[in-house]
Amino acid sequence: MSERKGIVPGLVKGLATTARTLTRHTQVEEYPHHRPELPARTRGVIALLAENCTSCMLCARECPDWCIYIDAHKETVPATTPGGRDRQRNVLDRFAIDYSLCMYCGICVEVCPFDALFWSPQFEYAELDIRDLLHEKDRLESWVESVPVPPAPDPGAAEVPEVASQRAPARGPRVVGGGAARPARPARPAPSAPPPGDGEG
Amino acid sequence: MAAVDLPTPRVGPVGAHAPKPMRVVLNWGRRYSLWVFNFGLACCAIEFIAASMGRYDFMRLGVIPLAPGPRQADLMVVSGTVTDKMAPAVRRLYDQMPEPKYVISFGACSNSGGPYWDSYSVTKGVDTIIPVDVYVPGCPPRPEALLQGILKLQEKIAAERIGQSVPKRYAGHRLASAADLTRPLVEQPLLSRATSASGG
Repeated sequence: MSERKGIVPGLVKGLATTARTLTRHTQVEEYPHHRPELPARTRGVIALLAENCTSCMLCARECPDWCIYIDAHKETVPATTPGGRDRQRNVLDRFAIDYSLCMYCGICVEVCPFDALFWSPQFEYAELDIRDLLHEKDRLESWVESVPVPPAPDPGAAEVPEVASQRAPARGPRVVGGGAARPARPARPAPSAPPPGDGEG
Repeated sequence: MAAVDLPTPRVGPVGAHAPKPMRVVLNWGRRYSLWVFNFGLACCAIEFIAASMGRYDFMRLGVIPLAPGPRQADLMVVSGTVTDKMAPAVRRLYDQMPEPKYVISFGACSNSGGPYWDSYSVTKGVDTIIPVDVYVPGCPPRPEALLQGILKLQEKIAAERIGQSVPKRYAGHRLASAADLTRPLVEQPLLSRATSASGG
């Protein structure tokens, strides 16, 4: 008797729970059918914009894992004007990142002075052979398409220094040997009466 | 320790010429009932657990995280830093798994040693001790990255032939055993030891 009493309420309780959750929205991320919406700063894969790369090797030297491989050679650009000097420039031959080693710290992206490296939220590059995890230049460049537009700064955030410097008024031409007098400093406001109690101990 | 001698059903050379429908049905059964065994060794194991829980729920893909042990598992996910101290245990548990068995290397450490590739005590990739089918990059990878690795493995299983022999890759091939990793250092022969003691 007591056993039967135990079964029925349990069944009812269980079915009630089922009925309650039946109408509720599911929490599962249906991954292969539904791509996750990742924030723009997600560290998925590093994309290379090879036009910006000057093969300065800063990223390869700063990489804590030494997983960036760069080969470059120098090319002489002939002088454009008669009597001018020939210039040399670096030409990037090979840029590879070994994603089996990479620890996704982003130091290379931070340190790049020419904005040649970008984070992309792509993460779907599992491989059957570990040698395919070494992404060569063409594959790193193909990730550029998936780099999202950086989000706008928060309202009330400090202005980006690059933007602020562009808005500053242009400097006049510098004149050697004194030249025009400096613009007069704005007169210092006359010292007002010291507040009471100031400097009296 | 030698590999565990399990009664694996073998069809020999007949299997290679099995009709395509039979192959499709067999592979279909294999790819959607992967009983998984999590060899969690470091932080990547947390991402594996996240992938197995309700939000990502890899049981949708036919990966069942309920294997009581390696002897009942089809898939081993090595997630985390494999140290040389742990390597024989990884090999031994891999040996205990019945054929057909698959391994996913999850995260930079088990792929190649990752940040510890220069360490004195870390195995430079789990594929130096066992054969790995899919490498998932990341440090740690997202749970979705594991799901994508599982999809990749399922594609590989679907393309398998029945009597196909698995090619040996790198040091970790299927015929190696845990003894290959636990063998002690070669001892100095007794004779030379005696002479060096008397000479010194």
